[in-house]
Amino acid sequence: MTMPLLDITGDVCPMTFVKVKMGLHRVPPPGILTVRLKEEALKNVISSLKAEGHRVTNVSREEGIFLLEVTKAG
Amino acid sequence: MSEADYKELKKGGMMRQAEAGLFSVRLHVVGGRLATAQLRAIREAADRFGRGEIHLTTRQGVEIPHVPQGALAALKESLAPSGVGVGVCGPTVRTVTACQGCRVCPSGVIDSPELAGIVDKELYGKPVPHKFKVGISGCVNNCMKAEENDVGIKGWIEPRREAPACTFCGVCQAVCPTKAIATSVDGRTLIVDPTLCIGCGDCITSCPTGSMREKIRGYRVFAGGKFGRRPSLGRRILWVLRTKEEAMTAIVAVLGFFREHGNPRERFGDTLQRTGFPALETFVKERTGLS
Repeated sequence: MTMPLLDITGDVCPMTFVKVKMGLHRVPPPGILTVRLKEEALKNVISSLKAEGHRVTNVSREEGIFLLEVTKAG
Repeated sequence: MSEADYKELKKGGMMRQAEAGLFSVRLHVVGGRLATAQLRAIREAADRFGRGEIHLTTRQGVEIPHVPQGALAALKESLAPSGVGVGVCGPTVRTVTACQGCRVCPSGVIDSPELAGIVDKELYGKPVPHKFKVGISGCVNNCMKAEENDVGIKGWIEPRREAPACTFCGVCQAVCPTKAIATSVDGRTLIVDPTLCIGCGDCITSCPTGSMREKIRGYRVFAGGKFGRRPSLGRRILWVLRTKEEAMTAIVAVLGFFREHGNPRERFGDTLQRTGFPALETFVKERTGLS
């Protein structure tokens, strides 16, 4: 099974935040979502994820684009 | 009225207006904060002794304009019960400005109104070679424009890295607005350059593993800023201070340097142009034992 991927490289705050929140809401068990985003969105996306109890369990990079593996809270 | 009499009035916050016989009365406000009862007393005084107008100054102060000279004493008396004092002007320590600080603002790092109160209590209206302004920003977003003041303070977060959990994911380096974080040559540690770090704490809020932590949540001191005809920005002195007491000691020491080295009618920034910043740093370090 391929892991669900959310691409928010074309979005700006606050849509980055909204899309990640909705993406996590819909993600099937085991609750892992990979988010593809630009450097500018890192700070707000990660800090809001942390504030809601989710965890960033892996970070990788491909040519200036970041891939965050997000593990849903609970 | 003689010029000498006017100078005394001005020091006491009564400013002569363009129109002869009228004064704009400056009030004592700390960090832009007034109780509603005080605002009511100010409104009543402006109605009774002025023309029902209140002027909000650029540095969070309040003035009642259009007060006839003969009414100055009565106005002062009418405000006293509400705890509103008359302000200062001339070569004195001026209104201490502050943002709402960490008790109100989600970005706040320090309790800026608290420090403003301490500075005001100790230094407000004290004589100095030239006007001396203190401004306190609760964080490095710097709403109070620390560098525009003779002494400015900013709430500051100094990061430290806890090695075990760090995966070198690169997020802290990517989010750092000044690119202050570098990977060591052997690639096995991260180095934060303290001369580049602006104390925002973005590396800490963004760190996925919690490896970037707060080392100090404190106070950063800036000295020698001014606006007016020839603006110049204050520069930071000392390392990050840990407590409000340390911050206050530093401010007092900076003022001590100005008193020793400033010429009459010379702004602090101009004094520093003559003496150089290193002389100030040496003096403050010796006086306070801070580094």
